[in-house]
Amino acid sequence: MNKTLILAKREYKAAVRTKGFIIALILLPIFMGGSFAVFVLLKDKVDLNDKKIAVLDHTGEFGPYLNRTAEYHNQNEIFNEEGEKVAPSYFFEMIEVNQNDPNQQRLELSDRVRGKEIHAFVQIGKNVLHPNPNDEQSRIFYYAENAALDNVRGWFNNIINNRIRELRLLELGIEREQVQDLFYWVSAEGMGLVSLDTKTGAVKDARQSSELQSIMVPYILILLMFMMLMMSAVPLLTAVMEEKSERIAEVLLGSVTPTQFMMGKILGSLGVSLTTSAIYVAGGVFMIRRMGMGDIIPYELVPWFFVYMLLNIIMVGSIMAALGSACNDSKDAQSIQFPAMFPIIIPLFVMMPVIMNPLSNFATGISLFPLWTPMLMLLRQATEVTIPTWQPIVGLIGILLFTFLSVWAGGRIFRSAIIMQGKKPKIGTLMRYIVKG
Amino acid sequence: MSVIALDRITKTFGNHVAVDALSLEVPKGSIYGFIGPNGSGKTTTIRMIMNILYPDSGTIQIFGKEQTGSRLDQVGYLPEERGLYKKMKVKELIQFYAELKNVPQPGPLADSWLEKFDLTPWANKKVEALSKGMSQKVQFTITVINQPEIIILDEPFSGLDPVNAEIIKEIILELRDKGSTIIFSTHDMAVAEKMCDFIFMIYQGKKVLDGTLKSIQEQFGQDTIRIRTEGGPKALKDIAGIEKMNDFGQMQELRMEQGTDPQEILSVIMKKTRVTSFEITSPSLNDIFIRIARPEKTEHHE
Repeated sequence: MNKTLILAKREYKAAVRTKGFIIALILLPIFMGGSFAVFVLLKDKVDLNDKKIAVLDHTGEFGPYLNRTAEYHNQNEIFNEEGEKVAPSYFFEMIEVNQNDPNQQRLELSDRVRGKEIHAFVQIGKNVLHPNPNDEQSRIFYYAENAALDNVRGWFNNIINNRIRELRLLELGIEREQVQDLFYWVSAEGMGLVSLDTKTGAVKDARQSSELQSIMVPYILILLMFMMLMMSAVPLLTAVMEEKSERIAEVLLGSVTPTQFMMGKILGSLGVSLTTSAIYVAGGVFMIRRMGMGDIIPYELVPWFFVYMLLNIIMVGSIMAALGSACNDSKDAQSIQFPAMFPIIIPLFVMMPVIMNPLSNFATGISLFPLWTPMLMLLRQATEVTIPTWQPIVGLIGILLFTFLSVWAGGRIFRSAIIMQGKKPKIGTLMRYIVKG
Repeated sequence: MSVIALDRITKTFGNHVAVDALSLEVPKGSIYGFIGPNGSGKTTTIRMIMNILYPDSGTIQIFGKEQTGSRLDQVGYLPEERGLYKKMKVKELIQFYAELKNVPQPGPLADSWLEKFDLTPWANKKVEALSKGMSQKVQFTITVINQPEIIILDEPFSGLDPVNAEIIKEIILELRDKGSTIIFSTHDMAVAEKMCDFIFMIYQGKKVLDGTLKSIQEQFGQDTIRIRTEGGPKALKDIAGIEKMNDFGQMQELRMEQGTDPQEILSVIMKKTRVTSFEITSPSLNDIFIRIARPEKTEHHE
């Protein structure tokens, strides 16, 4: 068997047989997807405790409306079809406004909130129907312990503004029955583009565009590739450093050339990441189909994902192995690891702007830089917009050239540095190794 | 026929010339000993032969051809500082290296070597469980598993107890008898004297000795007296014609100045004390080594 493959087989077995690998295999998606899963699971888990809100209504107009609305809400909006309670009941307590000492009154109400007697209190300025800028009486204040994130505030905002608008329209003499239609909000629904089915020649309906598909699919693909890099290519730095410092490298060099040595390690890592990603991709597809959401899976991207990932691991792996060969101990490796990882992390920083606007000059330009093409081009391909066909092809050529260059330069550093002891991995030294070989 | 031929190879690290225009021919089937003080260039030379380092100038030929990586299967190499994959099982590790050397059936071969070194009970234990001596035997095994035509051993006996050193020595001789050419570096002059067909000494990157022990000793002539007396070293002081005395406790070695008559020295000593043994001989390899590389000159880094 080819020596590179024998080395790769050993690397693969050594990595896959460890308990750490199995644990990482299980834990990584849990950690990475954990926050999303928690969000999904807890999305519907709302606080069902009844809420009482005190109201300081300076207009004196809103009391009966608020009570009526709360009563309607409590009767009609808090139970699902099975009769289960799914939202809290709301109650209003109208407080007579103390004009002489409003601060004292607010303090007392705040103490009642702290004492959990009431959930919040609201101060409605007397000029809210005809507001003036910079006038405190034209504003509504919602006082609560976590006012910024309080769902009740959102509900209250809605009902109070509906009423304010109703009152303003009534003043204009518009019938109340017309008001509901006036406030009916028609949302612009996101749709993909209509296309022609190449087999049947029929026009295919556009798919409804969802946030889940627009953001989650690209997000998961990129995160998966990033995980693979972190699991297989990045650890090559310390793995090579260890083999050098434990003097295994020179023993191996008695039987293999430095290039075989380096490529064996990279191919071993590649095998590990292929195994892991195949498990994740297959598992992910299975789960999504079981959840009845099979149509959001971008099957046409799966080959691109694997091609990009393989090249990315060879590209980053050869750089990491070369850097590892220049390190003498774990201290050297630690000091070089963050600067070495920085370029790999950059795609994660620019992910959102690229997803939001995949056709911008910024997104196009940054996705054509070979080191970032695998993650960012894939990210753009995974969004719902159609990116020009030439771009992934040019990107792929760029990656192929850059991979070739990094394997070549990495190999030259590797064979020079792997048995050098005591020399710090400085950029100048590494460059000299590349030039001199 | 030479299996290895170095022709004026030079290697520098920064401003330091580690190996300086070194030429050497190693005949097939011989045991060639590399000696020299620490930092003199032995390991650098060996690494260049192994194609791990590349000479700045000069050529290296193995089996008459400029070497390439593909030649490596016929060359076994035991580096001076050696490590093993600690988490691998012993037999698995030996098989792995055997596969790298293109051994067709690594399993049975690994078993036979494990048996030879009494390591069979350890075959399925992890390498990290082995003692230092056992690890060294495993390292030696992976170097010679395919009985390569050339075996290069950098300090093969360092750290070994006498029993294990004896086992390794016997196997080296056995491999030579089967046709392998052995090169080894050592600091143990007695081993070099007893085992090597040829001795090669490198000092400050340059070749200073190369040849059989006899031819090397002849270069220095019979200028050494080994003597045992009842008076010991005290009785041997201040004698005209003695350049240097090396005291071994029970026996002293005297180096004579050029042109000195040993009979005259004997008669002077006999006047001072009773002589129990007197031998005129060539200098030992140890003495030759020290004459060339005085201790104050030796500590350079390779």
